[in-house]
Amino acid sequence: MSPPHRLLPLTATAGALAGLLLAAGCAQRPVAAARDIYPVAEAYYKAHPDFFLFKTPADLPQNLVWQDGHDVPEFADSDAKRGGTLHYFIDDFPRTLRFVGPDDNGSFRPFILDDDEITLIQRQPNTGQYYPGLARAWALDPDGRTMYFKLDSDARYSDGAPVKADDYLFAFYFFKSPWIVEPWYNNYYSTNFSRITKYDDYTIAVTWKEPKPDIYDRVGQVYPVPEHFYKDFGPDFVQRYQWTIEPTTGPYTVLPQDIQKGSSIDLTRVPHWWADDKPFYRHRYNFDRIHLEVIRDPAKAFEAFRRGDLDSFGLYGSGFSLPEYWYEKMPNRDPLVRDGYIHKVTFYNEIPRPTYGLYLNEDMPLLNNRDIRLGINYATDFDLVDKEYFHGDYVRMQTSADGYADVPFPHIHARPFSVEKALEHFAKAGFTSRGPDGILVNAQGQRLSFTITTGYATMKDVLTILKQQAAKAGLEYNIEVLDGTTAWKKIEEKQHQIAFSAFSASVEKYPRYWETFDSVNAHKAQTNNLTNTAIPAMDLLIAAYDQATTMDQIRSLATQLETMVHDDAAFVPGFEIPFYRVGFWRWIRWPKDFNVRLSLYAGQFGVEWLDPQVKADTLAARSAGRTFPPAVETYDQWERKDD
Amino acid sequence: MSFQLNPLTRRQLQRFRAIKRGYLSFLLFGFLLLLAAGAELLVNSRALIVRYRGRLYFPTYSAFHPGTDFGEDYSYETNYRRLAQKFARAHDGDWVLLPPIPYNPYENDFRPGVYPPTRPSWRERHLLGTDTTGRDVLARLFYGFRTAMVFSLLYMAFVYLLGVAIGCAMGYFGGTFDLVAQRLVEIWSNIPFLYIVIIVASLVTPNLGWLLVIVVLFSWTGMTYYLRTATYREKARDYVAAAEVLGAGTGRIIFRHVLPNTLSTIVTFIPFTLANAITLLTALDFLGFGLPPPTPSWGELLRQGTSNLDAPWIVTSTFVALVVVLSLVTFIGEAVREAFDPKKFTVYQ
Repeated sequence: MSPPHRLLPLTATAGALAGLLLAAGCAQRPVAAARDIYPVAEAYYKAHPDFFLFKTPADLPQNLVWQDGHDVPEFADSDAKRGGTLHYFIDDFPRTLRFVGPDDNGSFRPFILDDDEITLIQRQPNTGQYYPGLARAWALDPDGRTMYFKLDSDARYSDGAPVKADDYLFAFYFFKSPWIVEPWYNNYYSTNFSRITKYDDYTIAVTWKEPKPDIYDRVGQVYPVPEHFYKDFGPDFVQRYQWTIEPTTGPYTVLPQDIQKGSSIDLTRVPHWWADDKPFYRHRYNFDRIHLEVIRDPAKAFEAFRRGDLDSFGLYGSGFSLPEYWYEKMPNRDPLVRDGYIHKVTFYNEIPRPTYGLYLNEDMPLLNNRDIRLGINYATDFDLVDKEYFHGDYVRMQTSADGYADVPFPHIHARPFSVEKALEHFAKAGFTSRGPDGILVNAQGQRLSFTITTGYATMKDVLTILKQQAAKAGLEYNIEVLDGTTAWKKIEEKQHQIAFSAFSASVEKYPRYWETFDSVNAHKAQTNNLTNTAIPAMDLLIAAYDQATTMDQIRSLATQLETMVHDDAAFVPGFEIPFYRVGFWRWIRWPKDFNVRLSLYAGQFGVEWLDPQVKADTLAARSAGRTFPPAVETYDQWERKDD
Repeated sequence: MSFQLNPLTRRQLQRFRAIKRGYLSFLLFGFLLLLAAGAELLVNSRALIVRYRGRLYFPTYSAFHPGTDFGEDYSYETNYRRLAQKFARAHDGDWVLLPPIPYNPYENDFRPGVYPPTRPSWRERHLLGTDTTGRDVLARLFYGFRTAMVFSLLYMAFVYLLGVAIGCAMGYFGGTFDLVAQRLVEIWSNIPFLYIVIIVASLVTPNLGWLLVIVVLFSWTGMTYYLRTATYREKARDYVAAAEVLGAGTGRIIFRHVLPNTLSTIVTFIPFTLANAITLLTALDFLGFGLPPPTPSWGELLRQGTSNLDAPWIVTSTFVALVVVLSLVTFIGEAVREAFDPKKFTVYQ
């Protein structure tokens, strides 16, 4: 199930390709036709002197406090062994290998961009501190919106070229260019950043438009774009770079011979990767190769995993978190699990949760009445769904923004199912008697009936349970399951009465409210204010929230905002999955505490490795009929314990 | 204008009764239809009769009774199964008569410590187990059968109405009308039906009416070919010419003379149309383009079953039900075809 997208965080640039291809490409083109982007970019910098600043190291502020993350603990396991090929699958062949531009947002992108590229600084996924990325030291200006970076002179792209300050200047030129045909990037880089300053080849400063409590995440996540690779950058970017891969600063790249269009694609570890032996990067990204077979049907991929053709199921993704796979397709009594060949792990992570729930459209008749909304909150039995349908694995979502470790709401709880309370609120709204079918009617003969629109066909069973339970409180739900795109269109145009939907939340430090609850986004199409919430007092708070500069302010305002969301009762919190689950053949090994707090899925931070000795043993044991002790483990060190 | 069966048709019906397998299938199928019509009395969470404080209640077809009607403390629909247990324990003369299968096809029967789907159990009265949301499989099969039958019979009625009317007109009037209509039918029948259904299902949630309209719109064309031919043949017969000479109007000729004689053609197709309709609805539901949830349907059950092969009772019972019903219909169809075979009655000269 894939929730409709929200603007995901900055995931910009840079990638990988053998210099071989580049050289070959140049040789074939007549010299006269070759473009050179350098003068064009330089001219652009000159034309925008407010954005692109050039200074000398002597201009650096004197009183900066430089940090280098030396006191941050490493999180990889020193027992990890480098080597081997991991066999896994992707559900579709990438439609492009570009990092930006049309079709870039597919399931393959994490492998070459999100989980691969090294940013300026990186967040330690257990402690939330920062450790060096492409910058070996960094400092925050007292203005709260400018960060200074000393680039690591060891850093190299996969084609051997060093990473320099010019690549960051070029990144801004690149991402603002209309040639990449990606308005989101254009807008993000134009409206959020104020300027970039080059002090020398290895020192830069990047300035955000305003001070932010999470400035480290915003500015520190900028990627360099290798200028030398894009020297032919032009209006034909989309076609020209469709199947080439940008040189990467990360551990894995794709070699041209490993692109089998439509059937498979391999990632190869960059030989002598620049960060191989650096703290925070050693003992990670341990596979020499990652072979990704295109298997379009997850059920088929699962069979391939059972057969041993794939080393894991759920390593990069959430497939195994579905109760269906965990309990029914591969229960603990399954011979492969019982005999210890396949291990199953449940890992509780702590990340912002997708917001599954009911969004009540306050512009619709009856739903504009707060008592009706409160009644609906009490009449919607997500607890039963979590407990019975999801085997008690899923837990009730409590607020509209669960899972932000730095911004908890321990005192706000979703309203429990209660027929009495629901009836009490419905009665206040004039619905006092039940019709012949048990559904409440008011004095005008109007029935208390609403349609729930959703694009999640896989969730229709959840809605049928809600429908049955709501009938007890005299509330009728009609279920409208539409094709994903159609449903989302209807919901975005605010044509729904009640929408069952979710926003994916990116791993940020604190939640966003402007998109979903500000009146600017109410009563109009194509915005994420699905409830059409428009409360003047709330707008003021949101404005203050968006200008807050410290986490204390953020926490206090967020608590007020979340309380208002709760009181307004237009969002019925649904459920969340507080963990991910993964199954793997026993030769895939993990650190002692398995994984890190902020991981979205098990393979995200590359802490696992493949033990060839164990693999040989296991295969020999299997053919000899020898078994191992079973391993079905739960790691709950990061589980939310407040309720 | 009365619509009389001609002697030939009567003889054909007699012959049909003589074909044992087909006739028995027909009776059995009729019986099933009858059961389905009274499904509320057999498979239902509402009690048939409740005796409470000296009064008798018949909740099956009445308005709902809140629990408070029978001394319970809730205002929603009475849980009659629990009421029955309560009365049985109390021993004060009150009782509840439940239907043989005391579940309706919508309710989720969650039990503590057991996760659905649960296997068949006599004790819980889930004779064919429950599905993935704890709904009784037998209840869903039963009501799904009824849905399929309502759909198929309506489908048949409309397809025949359209097909017969247009086909008959084509054959009877002939000439340019026939030529043009035939071309239109050819074009129409080339529209890919499944795509239309997929498109419509993605825009609106089709209910029974919608689905029927779409399906009928794209299914009537087949029938016109047969009716057109049959009408052409009958029209050329001497008795039609005689009726014309006697001054009979077009309507009278078509309805009194031509149509009754084409009946054998129509009747032969009926069972197969029925089987087609059942398969079609099941297939659409299976693919997710059919009736909206939570409507009980065989296609939806099959889909659940095939994706939960470790709960074999879902797929097995649906499969068996489907096979039985389709076999019955096919047996009937074969018998009808044999009984109405023109070779048995025509003397070729």
